[in-house]
Amino acid sequence: MHVQLFATCLGDLVFPEAVDDAERLLRAAGHEVEFPPRQVCCGQPAFNAGHRAAARRVARGFARTFSREAPVVVPSGSCATMLSHYLPELLGVEPFEIWELSAFLDANAFAPGPTNEGRRLAYHDSCHMLRELHVAEAPRRLLERSGATVVALPRPDLCCGFGGTFSVRQPEVSVAMADDKLAGARAADALVTADPGCLMQLRGRAERAGGARVVHLATALARGVA
Amino acid sequence: MSPLEQAPQRFRETAAARLGDAHTQQALDTATSRLREARLAAWGLLPDVEELRERGREIRQRTIGDLDRYVAQFAKAFEANGGHVHFAANAEEATAAIRAICRDADARLVAKAKSMASEEIRLNEALERDGLRVVETDLGEYILQLAGEHPVHIIAPAIEKTAEQVAELLGAVEGRELRPELEELTLAARRQLREVFQTADVGITGANFAVCETGSIVLVTNEGNGRLVSALPRVHVALLGVERLVPTTRDLSVLLRLLARSGTGQRLTTYTTIVTGPRREGEQDGPEELHVVVLDNGRSALRRGRYREMLSCIRCGACLNVCPVYRKSGGGAYGPVYSGPMGAVLVPLLVGLEQAPSLPHASSLCGACTEACPVKIPLHELLLDLRRDLVAEGVAPLPERLAFRLWSLAWSTALGYRLSTAAARLGAPLAPRLPGPGRLWAAERALPRLARRRFRDRRRAT
Repeated sequence: MHVQLFATCLGDLVFPEAVDDAERLLRAAGHEVEFPPRQVCCGQPAFNAGHRAAARRVARGFARTFSREAPVVVPSGSCATMLSHYLPELLGVEPFEIWELSAFLDANAFAPGPTNEGRRLAYHDSCHMLRELHVAEAPRRLLERSGATVVALPRPDLCCGFGGTFSVRQPEVSVAMADDKLAGARAADALVTADPGCLMQLRGRAERAGGARVVHLATALARGVA
Repeated sequence: MSPLEQAPQRFRETAAARLGDAHTQQALDTATSRLREARLAAWGLLPDVEELRERGREIRQRTIGDLDRYVAQFAKAFEANGGHVHFAANAEEATAAIRAICRDADARLVAKAKSMASEEIRLNEALERDGLRVVETDLGEYILQLAGEHPVHIIAPAIEKTAEQVAELLGAVEGRELRPELEELTLAARRQLREVFQTADVGITGANFAVCETGSIVLVTNEGNGRLVSALPRVHVALLGVERLVPTTRDLSVLLRLLARSGTGQRLTTYTTIVTGPRREGEQDGPEELHVVVLDNGRSALRRGRYREMLSCIRCGACLNVCPVYRKSGGGAYGPVYSGPMGAVLVPLLVGLEQAPSLPHASSLCGACTEACPVKIPLHELLLDLRRDLVAEGVAPLPERLAFRLWSLAWSTALGYRLSTAAARLGAPLAPRLPGPGRLWAAERALPRLARRRFRDRRRAT
């Protein structure tokens, strides 16, 4: 299938290797991947902070760059939510066909290689992916198909504390939320998430205070967490 | 000043102090987890929880959509039962009405059952200024009153207190030492409050609901204090938020089922008291005089437009119990009255955004509140809309508005994006040192490093 890859701003700027892994997975699944070169950002940072005019300005770039003729695959639960749930109304445009990466791979019955044989991995649900896209099983199934044992987090319903500008408006509470999430993953070899926002938050906290290794789902599936 | 107003930094400062208190953190986790699990179990026992939630939502929206007519119907029925109706547009009018009732009754002692609306209008302070003794009879509220504090949870007001702290507070009343054990403490509270129930001149309660077709006030408690306060004193005053009306007893049954299951995980609370008129001839208990004070205080202004959804709230507390932010910050951060997601939405709506500008941002927008709400209020979307209003009304600080504007101008084209991220790469070492988001992030977290090459540049190179 011909798909359009949306890297997301965090993916492009901070986690390019995760986007690279996402592209490799899509190709391994037999898809033809197009990367619209003028893409930037979905506008979510401004939208969630209440700056609708700013969000609209940035989101328009997405609408100009992507086509409605082919699915758009996004290695980020929250950006996929922004694009599918909020962008059409924000801009007054027809919806695009938006897929979060793991939902897309799973829907097309993708079997990743045995990259995580014998690994115990915890999966962190990003809030938007869980509650707005209702994608919870696909990433876990893919991890299991890659050979991992998926261990349950004590409170999978709890947010990691990122929340966009929340992380800097309420830094103390935000960090405390991350600490709880990291503590819950202590028994696992790594904590896997499908959202670059959660990844930045949890990895940033773990780097400073110690704690689980935090890995993007695409990386875990493409290369394993070794 | 309304107790709902709060300074911009209050949330962050109060929450940060709470985080350092290991006991509070433990208490918050235990209490909210227990209440959340109880709700999920109770919802699970229903044949079709979604159908019941949908019915609850429909009842609330129907009522709010035609509120004037329902208020009139309720008032007429309440008066026909022999009660007196007082309308209060704001806190001053409500406290004035209740002070006058107490004056006319020559009251000295007032027994109170739990009422968040009374916290909203600072009723106790107003009555105490008149020389009245006011005693809270809900156990949690009583403990807080002894401590000189305010509720931190709308249905479990004292969840942050330990048994030791409670033993000390109750022991001081009797001038003796109490063991921090459940039975000893509840017996002490019972001893202390019994005298209040028996001798109070006026009983003041809130109202969980009021039924329009019968003119009844409905009180839901687990301690029975609502029943004693409404039945024993000569005069009973119920303080009713105007939006808490329910058209029929049939509708009431739906909402009672949702309220108990969502609040505490019970099928019904231990006591459901339905007060229909004062004592009639031949009846053994009930007040000689019955009043209802119908409080608006900013509510009916919300009836039109986006935020009318918030008037559907039945104050069950389910959104607090699932909120990951409330779980860490505690209730005090949101102010002395309403807390958690419902408070973060309701308070700015009642007092205006400029009086509570940090509350719409006291959420990571995770959506757990929306998922838990028994009447399906889209709480996290309302928070998003309040944030939009903060910007549109110019309440958001100018530097923030400028920053987003500049950012969006740069990121509206691929060229601007490239240039701005190149500039950001140069400026990155400064980020943790300059005041702003970089420093706020970096205080306790590693700053994300911009990759040497962006994904698109790597891709082009291969």
